[in-house]
Amino acid sequence: MIAAEGLRKVYSARFGTRKVRALDGIDLSVGAGEVFGLLGPNGAGKTTTVKILLGLTRPTDGAAQLFGIPVADPKSRQRVGYLPEGHRFPGYLSARQTLSIFGRMSGMERSTLKARIPELLKRVGLSDWIDVKVKKFSKGMTQRLGLAAALVHDPEVLLLDEPTDGVDPVGRREIRDLLREEASRGRAILLNSHLLSEIELTCDRVAVLRKGKVAAQGRIADLTAQGSRYRMAVSPVDESLLAAFRASGAGVERVNGHLVLTTRDLEHLNALVDTARARGGVLSELSPVRSSLEDVFVDLVRTGEEKEEENVR
Amino acid sequence: MKAFFASVEEVFREASARWTLLAYFALSSLFILMFALAVNLDIVDGALAGARLFGKTVVLGGEKVDMDRLVLGFETGFSGFLYMLGTFLALFATAHLVPRLQEKGTIDLYLSRPVGRTKLLLSRYCGGLLLAAANLLYLFGAIWLIVVWKTGIAHPRFFLGGVVILFGIAAMLAFAFLIGVVTSSTAVSLMVTYAIFLFAALLSAREKIAAAVSSEWSAGLIRALYWIFPKTAELGRATVALVSGGETFQRFGSIDKLAVFGSTGLFGLVALGLAAWRFSRKDF
Repeated sequence: MIAAEGLRKVYSARFGTRKVRALDGIDLSVGAGEVFGLLGPNGAGKTTTVKILLGLTRPTDGAAQLFGIPVADPKSRQRVGYLPEGHRFPGYLSARQTLSIFGRMSGMERSTLKARIPELLKRVGLSDWIDVKVKKFSKGMTQRLGLAAALVHDPEVLLLDEPTDGVDPVGRREIRDLLREEASRGRAILLNSHLLSEIELTCDRVAVLRKGKVAAQGRIADLTAQGSRYRMAVSPVDESLLAAFRASGAGVERVNGHLVLTTRDLEHLNALVDTARARGGVLSELSPVRSSLEDVFVDLVRTGEEKEEENVR
Repeated sequence: MKAFFASVEEVFREASARWTLLAYFALSSLFILMFALAVNLDIVDGALAGARLFGKTVVLGGEKVDMDRLVLGFETGFSGFLYMLGTFLALFATAHLVPRLQEKGTIDLYLSRPVGRTKLLLSRYCGGLLLAAANLLYLFGAIWLIVVWKTGIAHPRFFLGGVVILFGIAAMLAFAFLIGVVTSSTAVSLMVTYAIFLFAALLSAREKIAAAVSSEWSAGLIRALYWIFPKTAELGRATVALVSGGETFQRFGSIDKLAVFGSTGLFGLVALGLAAWRFSRKDF
């Protein structure tokens, strides 16, 4: 549903004397029912990518399509809902008027909107504010209204830039649930957020951007898995068991009552399990050790910076 | 078309919510009120009573003047004044439409909808023009009704002045949109548009100016600018001539309509075309 290939964007400073490379060959694709997270430090190119996908900015090179339609064609946005970061709805409109105007701008009939608007505002928790002017809304409420405006024409693709910005913890959970619900209805969702915990809880796949390039891309489980490290809860644990594990070549650490084992491969791990069971051990947990998404993100960004420093030297 | 009309509706909602529209109609109302008070003065009432008694003539400065011609004279004078007032007020009330649209956090909301950029810009332009037309109708309609109520004389041709004024506003608003698209500033857009309006009016005396400048090159430039810019002074004269009828109206026949209306219309079309072209190529 969303596809981008080799996206490059170079911004020219005044009179073209200075050029800034915002994107440098981005490839990504998001399919139906998938929640895809776009991560990256400030200036990594996340917003530029989203803006190119919406035709707000033209790529210097590369191509992007929505539903197979080039993004330069307004028709590609027929079934797209967008929530920009720092959006400013006209303060003089009420929530109902806002959704009516933006719904009709997406081709909806007035009669359809009459029933859809109250239903949608109820879904985002703004039922009581339906006829109140937007200028009276708090930041969290404006964000909820933005989400309703993105959903008003029942789009099949959602592009959301910091959707939980300014929203309280309960509201965040509601928005997360709403997004998962939309994904379960087959909607493709591209989420751009600085809140890594939000991304971790909501997304199926992520791409980490760094200086306009994709530094890493994949399923969160794959990105956060630490290869050959496993957490094992077994009892009883005695020194002879640990010695047997070490003798097999495994790394062993005791952490909060668990064992953290570093193995060569899955076969080695299975051999360790056999050893523990042969000694009368009862296994209550065995799971791969994962990093948090934040650890992965920071590592990727720092590694990139270190490489650059080396190149400079 | 749904998107187009939704955008036009938004222009009206914005205008009704902002002080600019209130000021726009308040100033127009003030003008109408002043006019209503002026025609209610004892001296006017006396003259009109005399006219009713002794036939359709009034005595002004010792001379008998036909009542119908007197009313027409009033309307002609007012249409000339309304040309300036209407144009300035209309530009003031609508020049913000593009700069506000282009504000960060706002433009994304509109352009992310399946509406072409040119269509979006044109919908704002049409919204602005409809707003100006509504105000002109209010101004001309109210004054016309006061005159009819006071004198019983109705000159539908008075409204022709409104049509010419709207034509002038359309050309100047297109230019204001072009400046708005390029600079994203309402203040700059207004200043430049007003400057062009006044400068173009000065150029109606192009031959006198050309004769006064020292070089042939400068004289040529003055003449070229006259043909490029809208004919704001001539449009004012055309407004007066169309409303006045009679001898003055015959002067309208002597106005080079193609030069005045054609080149002003072309100026507006080119400005609007350039605005649409720039807007559709802009990165946001």
